[in-house]
Amino acid sequence: MLNNNGASSGYRPQLFSSRVWNPSVSCGCGGLHTEGDKAFGDFLSDEIKEEQKIQKTKTLPKMSGGWELGLNGTEAKLTRHFAGDKISVTFNVNNSIPPSFEEEAEQGQQKSAAAAEEEPEMVSSPNFVVEVTKQGAKHSLVFDCHYPEDEMSHGEGEEESDIFAIREVSFQPEGDDEWKETSYTLGTDSLDWALYDHLMDFLADRGVDNTFADELMELSTAIEHQEYIKFLENLQGFVKCN
Amino acid sequence: MGVVLRNLQKVVSLRRARLRRDVDTLRHILGVHKFDVGIVCVDNQKIQQINHTYRKKNVPTDVLSFPFYEDLRPGKLPCPLHRDELNLGDIFLGVEFVMKQCQEESLDLHDALTVVTAHGICHLLGYRHETEEEWTEMLQRESYILTEYNRLTGRHLQPLMKTCDHDR
Repeated sequence: MLNNNGASSGYRPQLFSSRVWNPSVSCGCGGLHTEGDKAFGDFLSDEIKEEQKIQKTKTLPKMSGGWELGLNGTEAKLTRHFAGDKISVTFNVNNSIPPSFEEEAEQGQQKSAAAAEEEPEMVSSPNFVVEVTKQGAKHSLVFDCHYPEDEMSHGEGEEESDIFAIREVSFQPEGDDEWKETSYTLGTDSLDWALYDHLMDFLADRGVDNTFADELMELSTAIEHQEYIKFLENLQGFVKCN
Repeated sequence: MGVVLRNLQKVVSLRRARLRRDVDTLRHILGVHKFDVGIVCVDNQKIQQINHTYRKKNVPTDVLSFPFYEDLRPGKLPCPLHRDELNLGDIFLGVEFVMKQCQEESLDLHDALTVVTAHGICHLLGYRHETEEEWTEMLQRESYILTEYNRLTGRHLQPLMKTCDHDR
């Protein structure tokens, strides 16, 4: 029977060694720094410079219509009051950039150098939740909205979708962050379109229209880019151990 | 599906419910309420682009129609064999263009959109205004539609085609 109680005194080769293999860079912090880390840090430094170069402005674009902006990390909240109604719009910039549908060049066709260098502009189009609260009411009317991903707009055909669309509507307890699943939720997939249009007009009357949706994309894109640069800076600090 | 309404522009503040109700009324007047119609609202830039692509006219306009049935005799309703043929086609409304006209002539935007949509539906039903005879025939149809619309709604809308032109 093999002795597997760990009491053997003989040398036993280990598959995973805990010994650091030749760290070539050190800063005295006691952490691991490799040549790879150094290259990674240099890469990040260049990347941050490039991103800062294309950053349009350090300040975030303003929304028209008297919306106030509050930020909590990657989550943004816009609020305004309209004749006794409180309207708030929340969105999160995480995972808000849809994948590029750039079609691969067909065989035998080569893109021009200029076209190949031209990168598509990243646009953040997050889902957003509109909450309308009447004065003194216990429940808010909540609209789950999104920017439809229009397959047609990636090809040569005409764009067919609205700029933004309502996905679901529900009454939710006022000020509650959690979505209460037991509240009736009106899906818009098979909804009477006249009712859908009234809901869209209701939102437009409260400042949530195509102009708002367009400006929200611009704002979200700027926040996302700002957060990306912050992340790169944190990553650089973490890797380089400044 | 009925009326598929899309608002692709942000220049003009539209009342979607009002527009849908007006288009529905027009469909009922013409007896085509079983047919789907696409209404796509666009700005000057977009309608100019479409006008240029499909009609080689590089200017914005008020309405462009894309019939599902291309060779209809004016006034004859299509005879679809399948459900997916219950479709008259799409109407692109140049809402920015219409709004500017309304501002110049102090007209109500949604009244004007009803008039241009009536014109667009006539095109989907095979009416043309390339010749004097076609123009007369189309004007008569538009007059009938809007007279009925006025009777039902109490409004006072006039047909779009006051003069014979080939611009739309």
